[in-house]
Amino acid sequence: MTLNLCVLTPNRIVWDSEVKEIILPTNSGQIGVLPNHAPIAAAVDIGILRIRLKDQWLTMALMGGFARINNNEITVLVNDAEKGSDIDPQEAQETLKIAEANLNKAEGKRQKIEANLALRRARTRVEAINVIS
Amino acid sequence: MFSPSKPRLSPVRPSLPPVRCGVRELRHRIQTVHTTRKITEAMKLVAAARVRRAQEAVVSARPFSSHLAAVLADIARRLRADDVSTPLTASRPVRTVALVVVTADRGLCGAFNKSVTRKAANRIEELKKLGLGCVVVSVGKKGNSFFSLDSINSDPFVKVDSFVEIGGFPTAKEAQVIADAVFSLFVSEEVDKVELLYTRFVSLVRFEPVIQPLLPFVNEDCDDGVFRLSTKDGKLAVERDDVRLRKEGEGLVLPLMEFEQDPVQILDAMLPLYLNSQVLRGLQESLASELAARMGAMATATDNAVELGKKLSVAYNRERQAKITGELLEIVAGAEALTKDD
Repeated sequence: MTLNLCVLTPNRIVWDSEVKEIILPTNSGQIGVLPNHAPIAAAVDIGILRIRLKDQWLTMALMGGFARINNNEITVLVNDAEKGSDIDPQEAQETLKIAEANLNKAEGKRQKIEANLALRRARTRVEAINVIS
Repeated sequence: MFSPSKPRLSPVRPSLPPVRCGVRELRHRIQTVHTTRKITEAMKLVAAARVRRAQEAVVSARPFSSHLAAVLADIARRLRADDVSTPLTASRPVRTVALVVVTADRGLCGAFNKSVTRKAANRIEELKKLGLGCVVVSVGKKGNSFFSLDSINSDPFVKVDSFVEIGGFPTAKEAQVIADAVFSLFVSEEVDKVELLYTRFVSLVRFEPVIQPLLPFVNEDCDDGVFRLSTKDGKLAVERDDVRLRKEGEGLVLPLMEFEQDPVQILDAMLPLYLNSQVLRGLQESLASELAARMGAMATATDNAVELGKKLSVAYNRERQAKITGELLEIVAGAEALTKDD
């Protein structure tokens, strides 16, 4: 009994293969999914998706979306997803610094909303690299 | 326009000495026309190859949008009974409208950019007449330069908001930038309605700019149309598959499932996804239209160059032969004069 995980972004399929277990970041906390999980639909927050293959954990930064778990098929639809191994640590740190600076500079409701989103995304990307499996 | 009988052809360059051998100048012109033809033909082929890639990009976006649409329709159906409103479905009385205009980065694509900016200008006029303010988010260098023109900038009704430039192929990241800007504009109540102006790819020779309302989100039957480049009778043809989502049965059967969070929260998480995918689709279709327009424009340019080359060749040969005949006559006349003296 294996889980099949499918991570889709608007322009490509990021992941489509079998996994042993995953941990999904949602608004209401992290959900661990093992084979034969009950069918469920959940909103995915900007955070890190952890995937376990055999005994190794992989991380993937997700930029918010939606997940459906049904009959050992997990479908995650997100705005953007990046594998932890694909992120350049230096670049991610710089992006984080820029995002923080932008948030401090932001004036007005609208800029604050944009800056906040950008900051959360940058932070997720940095965290995705730092987590050691 | 072009008189082959006059050997002195100096078009519009006063710096050149006025006396020029007609033959040489014609030869030079023929060479430049040939070079131009090679360039335009290469551009046409490049554009044709890229249209194929653009079409593939749209096809690879389908799994996402079909899944999303199915679940969205399901949730919306369940929530239809309750009067649910999320930030993105909130419809307020409209005072300002945001218009996202998608143009190309480069020119040489025929009337493509002009038709988009013309439609944008028309829409702005319409909104002005209705007494609504307008905020423009421009995507693409050509649109950016159009909206930085004084005539638009100084218009008090129109506030040009931001300029986005996308290099190369539109991906989810770029669509995210635009979706973010639109999202924050709408949620912070700076605008009450958002519309997307992109070019719809109907066929290789037909593309029209359309205006699609993005926000507030209205749940209707979403038309997930995809186009396919194929060959029909040996010619390139485009087939549009219009998929009506309710009937799509690729095993997307949705059993009764529990929601981890509040259905409203889930809808709230899905609508940005939908927004993102709509923006991306607008960008992709606009790119495909731009490439098709460039293909057509370069094909016409190539044909024109071939014709012009032919005309110039004919004139050149005439000149050349006239010159040779003249020389021959001179020689013969000189020889005659010499022999007569004997």
